[in-house]
Amino acid sequence: MSLVFMPEDMDWVCEPCGERLTPGKVELNYLGNVFHVELPVCPKCGFVYLYEDLAMGRVLEVEQLLEDK
Amino acid sequence: MSRLVGRVESVCPECLERIGAELVEDGGVVRMVKRCAEHGEFSAVVWRGEPAFSGWVRPKIPFGGGPREAVGRGCPYDCGLCARHAQRTCTALVEITSRCNLNCPVCFADSGGAGTDPDHATLARMFDQVMKRTGGCNLQLSGGEPTVRDDLPEIVGLAKSAGFGFVQLNTNGLRLAADPELAHVLAEAGLSSIFLQFDGVRDDAFRVLRGRDLFEVKNRAVENASAAGLGIVLVPTVARGVNTDQLWDIVRYGLERQPHVRGVHFQPLSYFGRYPEDFVPDHVTLPELMTGLVAQSGGIVRTADFLPPGCEHALCSFSGKYMTHEDGHLVRLGSASCDCTPKPAEAGALKSIGVTARQWSAPAQPETSPSNPDTGQGAEPLAGRGAEPRISSSPPPDNDLDRFLARARTHTFTISAMAFQDAWSLNLDRLQGCCIHVAQPDGRLVPFCAFNLTARDGRALHRGRE
Repeated sequence: MSLVFMPEDMDWVCEPCGERLTPGKVELNYLGNVFHVELPVCPKCGFVYLYEDLAMGRVLEVEQLLEDK
Repeated sequence: MSRLVGRVESVCPECLERIGAELVEDGGVVRMVKRCAEHGEFSAVVWRGEPAFSGWVRPKIPFGGGPREAVGRGCPYDCGLCARHAQRTCTALVEITSRCNLNCPVCFADSGGAGTDPDHATLARMFDQVMKRTGGCNLQLSGGEPTVRDDLPEIVGLAKSAGFGFVQLNTNGLRLAADPELAHVLAEAGLSSIFLQFDGVRDDAFRVLRGRDLFEVKNRAVENASAAGLGIVLVPTVARGVNTDQLWDIVRYGLERQPHVRGVHFQPLSYFGRYPEDFVPDHVTLPELMTGLVAQSGGIVRTADFLPPGCEHALCSFSGKYMTHEDGHLVRLGSASCDCTPKPAEAGALKSIGVTARQWSAPAQPETSPSNPDTGQGAEPLAGRGAEPRISSSPPPDNDLDRFLARARTHTFTISAMAFQDAWSLNLDRLQGCCIHVAQPDGRLVPFCAFNLTARDGRALHRGRE
């Protein structure tokens, strides 16, 4: 699995837990479609960080392609 | 055993006076039954079969914004939009000519006259008015046959200058077929998509509906539009006994021409404008199209794939969105079901504007699949249909998101239909929820079915009276 979804500045810390985020396998589910990707995850609470470029880029485009009227 | 399932308002097909109507259901068939004090009783089937009429709902919270005309006689006489209209414009039509090069036996616009075309100043003003009144919408250049105008590329340019992101051409394709350069020039001018009259994959349908054999002409139009990078929507006029047996054949034809063909949009024949004189109203209803597609596809599509619209009135249309995988397998995308709680009409329209523009435009990165879609008819070669060689400049994506994007950008496909209303089937609730509006030189926006409404003797309520 590719690491393309790691932000360039991969030194983020989960504020509530104080843990450094690490690459983790994540399942994104939208309108019945499942995507397995690797994203920064807090090893303690499991919180996933979807950074802005990804959210406003690929994720938005996937949403738009999946959505109907 | 018949039962009353609704009371609505309609018009008398003879005098176009507003009269009450009952929707009466018997064995899954819903008729609109109405009586004019002067002209007697009229009955027309408006729904036949599954999915059931009673379950086909998607309620909307009316939108009353934007400039509105005063209500005088009321619906459908004060269109423009009037203060009672419940939806904003999703698609505006601008008729750039009433002339036509085909003169079909069937034509909602009764085109083919020798009227004067609006000049550039008029059109530029109309485009600006539409943009101002609607706050932005999709635009369709219509007519008449728009391609009879040699200055069509300049008109597309005017529309783009006015700020329309999605500009579509409603066309019979004759000139696009005859002149391969035209599609390129139009694409260069900013045209997004063609809404191509396409009644079937055999000439019998064209002969009845258009008066001559046109299948090869349509093929050439599709090839030329494809080569120019225009999105293509196939638009069959569906008439019982003429092409109701070709529904899936038309879809298959489109699927085999992805990514250029972006969808099929069925339009059952309506009795307005020009239609055979000796007709008896026999509307092909939306559920018949859905079950016909399911049966003819051998179950590749399912009735449950199709949902009522979030923009126009539920009874006006259905749509389903799909994607073909590399192995040809067709999968449905989108919501599993519609949320049937009332939603703001405006939000539905805004969403529809975006979804429609993205889906019916050519994909940003054209690519032709080496495999054929699973069309239920076995594999057929793509050769010779304007297919381009597959361009693969980068290695295959190695994650799910990019894999999906790489395919979905080029291989989503919609199957949809819109049931227009005529003097026999007009339901004013539906008309007030209409989002497809014909722009007038004076700035008014008239709902499509009101604009084209004609009485049995051909008298129009709005068209030609502007």
